[in-house]
Amino acid sequence: MSLHLADIAPTDIAAQRIRTPTAFGPGTGTKVLRWAVVLLAAGYFGYLLWLFEFGKLFTGLPRLWTIVRLMLDWTGFADWDHAELLRSMLETVAMAYLGSMLAFAFALPLGFLGARNVIPARVFRFITRRLFDGMRGVDQLIWALVFVRAMGLGPIAGILAICVADTGVLSKLFAEAIENTDRKQTEGVTATGASFFAVLRMGVLPQVLPVTIGQTLYQIESNSREATILGLVGAGGIGLRLSERIQINAWDQVAYAIVLILIAVALIDTVSRWLRMRLIG
Amino acid sequence: MTPLPPNDRIFVLQLVQLSRRFGDTLAVAGADLTIVRGEMVGIIGRSGAGKSTLLRLINRLIEPSSGRIVADGVDVTALRGAALRAWRARTAMIFQQFNLVNRLDVLTNVLCGRLNHMSAWRVLFKRFTPAERVLAIRTLDRFGLAEVALKRADALSGGQQQRVAIARALLQEPAMLLADEPISSLDPVNAKAVMDALLDINRTDGITVLVNLHTLDTARAYCRRIIGMSAGRIVFDGPPEGLTEDVLHAIYGDDVAEHP
Repeated sequence: MSLHLADIAPTDIAAQRIRTPTAFGPGTGTKVLRWAVVLLAAGYFGYLLWLFEFGKLFTGLPRLWTIVRLMLDWTGFADWDHAELLRSMLETVAMAYLGSMLAFAFALPLGFLGARNVIPARVFRFITRRLFDGMRGVDQLIWALVFVRAMGLGPIAGILAICVADTGVLSKLFAEAIENTDRKQTEGVTATGASFFAVLRMGVLPQVLPVTIGQTLYQIESNSREATILGLVGAGGIGLRLSERIQINAWDQVAYAIVLILIAVALIDTVSRWLRMRLIG
Repeated sequence: MTPLPPNDRIFVLQLVQLSRRFGDTLAVAGADLTIVRGEMVGIIGRSGAGKSTLLRLINRLIEPSSGRIVADGVDVTALRGAALRAWRARTAMIFQQFNLVNRLDVLTNVLCGRLNHMSAWRVLFKRFTPAERVLAIRTLDRFGLAEVALKRADALSGGQQQRVAIARALLQEPAMLLADEPISSLDPVNAKAVMDALLDINRTDGITVLVNLHTLDTARAYCRRIIGMSAGRIVFDGPPEGLTEDVLHAIYGDDVAEHP
C-alpha cells in the first residue's frame, strides 16, 4: 500500500489525533508550563539586574576607563621600587616551590597509607581518605586566612596554606597511583622473600615515583599562579604588593606587577613542562 | 618460630594432601608429592589444571586451604613473618610474564634477589654491598647479559627479561627454582635459551627445578620426571616414557593434539 499526502483527509487526522495524541506535538498543559518557566527565568534575571543596581555599570565605566589609562602610563617606570617588586615575585615563586615540596614530603607516606593494596583495612582507609578530602575541600584561600591570623602577615602563612591544601590533593593522587600499580611486578619482588617494606620500596615506589614527581611539578606550576591570590589576603609575595598598590591607586605599578606575574608563570610553565616530559617520558 | 633447615640441607620436599579452593573451584585438590634435591621436574597440564597454583602454594605466595608442605620434616605451611620470607627466598620463582620491576635497571632487578637478607635501612637507600654487586654482574654475565646491566628492564626483549629473572632468582641462593610457564611468552629460540639455562642451573648448581610447561615436547626433552595435572589433581607422576596415549588423554582430555 502506498501512502500519499493528498490522500489524507481531515477525518484521518482526527482519528489519528485520538489514537496517538503525543505525535502531534506537546499538549496545551506542557506548552503553558514551558512558557511559565521561560517567563519566570526572564523575570528573575530582570529582578536581579534591578536588585544589584546595574545602572552603576554606566556611571562606573568612565572610572574603569581612567584606571585602564593609568595602567598604560609607564612614564614613572624609573622611579618604581623594582627591587621590592622583583623580590616579592621571587618570594611568591619560592612560596609555591616550598609549599609544594613540603606537601610532596607529607603526601608520599600518606598516599601509601591511603592505598587499598597497602592498607587493606577498610576503616583505616576511610579515615585517611576523609582526611585528604578535608584538606582538599577547604580552599587554599581559606587556609591562608586562617594561617595569616595564626602566624601573622607574611610568606609563612602562604607556605602553610599551600602545603596543607596540596597535601590533600597529592595524597589522594598518590594513593590512586599506588592502587594502579602492576601487581605482577610487586609479586616478583614478594616472591624473593622481601619484607613488606622492601616490596613497597623496590616494587611499588619505582612504579609510582615518576607519576608523583610529575604531579608535584604541576602543583608547583599551578601554585605559582595561585600564590598571587594568597598574597592579596596578606600571605606574602607579589600579591601583597599588588593589593598595597591597588589601595593607593598606583595603577601603573599594578599593571607592571601583573606583567611580572605573567612572565614568571609563563617561565615556570615552560620549565616544568620540559622537566615533566624528561622525567615521565 | 619453627627453625628452617639450612639451605644446603633442604633435601626432601613433601606435599601432603595439599589443596587450594578459589570460590567453588578446587584449583589444587589433595596433591601428594615428594621431591628430592637435584631433581628437574616438569609439570604439564591444560591451562587451569592448577599448575600455577601449585607452584605459588610451594613458594607460599598463596595460602593453602588445607594440607601441608613439609621440608626435611619442618612444616612450611606453619611459617610466619621472617621465617616465611626466608622460605620464599629459598624457593625462588620464575614467572610467565617475568615480573621484573620495569622502571628499575637490570642490575637492581637482579639485586632484588638479596632483599631477604637486607635491613630496611639498606633497602631504603638501595645500599647493596660490593660483593652483592659482583655476584649480580657475574650472574648476568653467565647468561650473556652483563652489557645490558644498566638498561631499564622493560627495554629488554622477552627472552632477555626472563634470563634477568633467572639471575634474580639465583641471587637468592635458592635450594629450589619454581618456574611457572617460563617460556610461554617467548619465541622458540629464546624459549630454548631459557630452558637450557634452567637445565644448566639444575646440573651445575645442583638446584632442584620445578617447571610448569605448556608443551609436551619441551617437558620430554628436559625433564626426567614428569607430573601431569588435570582439574587440580595429580594424574601422572613418572618418567616421560610413561606418557602413553591413555595417560595423555587423562591429562589433556580431548585437546591432546593442541599440546605437541
